[in-house]
Amino acid sequence: MVRLTEMPAVGRGFISQLEIPAVERTAWTEPLPAARRRVAIVSTAALSRRGEKPFSWLARDYRVIPKDERDLVMTHVAVEYDRTAWQQDLNAILPLDRLDEMAAAGKIGSVAEEHYAFMGAADPVDMEKSAREAAARMRQDGVDTVFLVPV
Amino acid sequence: MCGLAHYFEAEGFATVLVGFVREHIEAYRPPRALWLDFPMGRPLGKPNDPAYQLRVMRAAFALLEVPSGPVLEDFPDVIPVRDGRMGYALPPELVLASEDIGDVDQRLAMVETEIADLRSAYDAAVAARGRTTVGASGLAVTELANYIAAFVRGEKPRSPRKGVPPIPLLKLVVEDLQAYYTEARTQRDGIDDFELVGQWFWEETQAGQLLLCLEAVSLESDDRVLRQIVDMSLITPRFWSEGPLPGSSGSGW
Repeated sequence: MVRLTEMPAVGRGFISQLEIPAVERTAWTEPLPAARRRVAIVSTAALSRRGEKPFSWLARDYRVIPKDERDLVMTHVAVEYDRTAWQQDLNAILPLDRLDEMAAAGKIGSVAEEHYAFMGAADPVDMEKSAREAAARMRQDGVDTVFLVPV
Repeated sequence: MCGLAHYFEAEGFATVLVGFVREHIEAYRPPRALWLDFPMGRPLGKPNDPAYQLRVMRAAFALLEVPSGPVLEDFPDVIPVRDGRMGYALPPELVLASEDIGDVDQRLAMVETEIADLRSAYDAAVAARGRTTVGASGLAVTELANYIAAFVRGEKPRSPRKGVPPIPLLKLVVEDLQAYYTEARTQRDGIDDFELVGQWFWEETQAGQLLLCLEAVSLESDDRVLRQIVDMSLITPRFWSEGPLPGSSGSGW
């Protein structure tokens, strides 16, 4: 995406006014060797399985996406980004097939059974409880590596 | 996205993210981040291009080999956008007023004819892709335009979907209608250009006109939530315009 200064007025104003908390310390977890990694994707595209409850506009919760699920819908509050890419190819925003290929090629160890979707419009502070819950599920699944993908 | 990375890293997971807003990544300082100079909505770069998507993923996962952080790197490619905007933006002068709406039933009939005309292209798209993104609202395609038209008439129909209030459902219905059109068009004509597809839908179709009528009605509505969807550009694509919709509060920005 272009720099903020290059954006048209409305979007630039909105994005630049988002409050960003001061980050003083960054946690750091030592990754496992590539061939041992078990990877989950976390998307902020507000994806869910067809028929599941839609995300509310500032949702703090999350949805679980089983690794073989492809029948997904999107209930993101924002309309400012392109939706035609994911309409054509789910991997354009949720690269589950690419992850399978990386596992088959030995670039990662394995693909998690479950992946996760959040609503990207929510305040990160409000998402902490849900993030901790998702972390517990990932731990149960043996995940050690998380690939975060916005939309 | 960056906030989630901090939470997961603190929980003992190694995280890596791709992101669009470099200024935010710089401020949030997630452990490992790859900045993409791509349009929003395309975090893997290109649909139906597995090799390109893998390139992006390899570049991201390479950051897991960096011994310390936070680390922020730039993906070397640029996928250019028009005039710095991340999606199609309605021309500011393309605004309908309530007196432009005319006969709603006639408009509805034209949209329904258009939907029927696109059906074979839509079905072909679903068959080719093995999936559809239409269906977030839970309404059938044949019910979408009618639900929107009720709001254009000034009515507030009951939501047929349990747990989803009428106006949040309206937003999903609008998105389903647009997805039906764009899935059909991108497949039928082999187009992967969101500016072109947006221009077609919003400026050339009867469905786009119906939604501009909805915007006009919402702008004059005394319903707080209906006003909110125009003030925050939640239905019509004005986020990347050079100014807010005339008559809206602009409170969303």
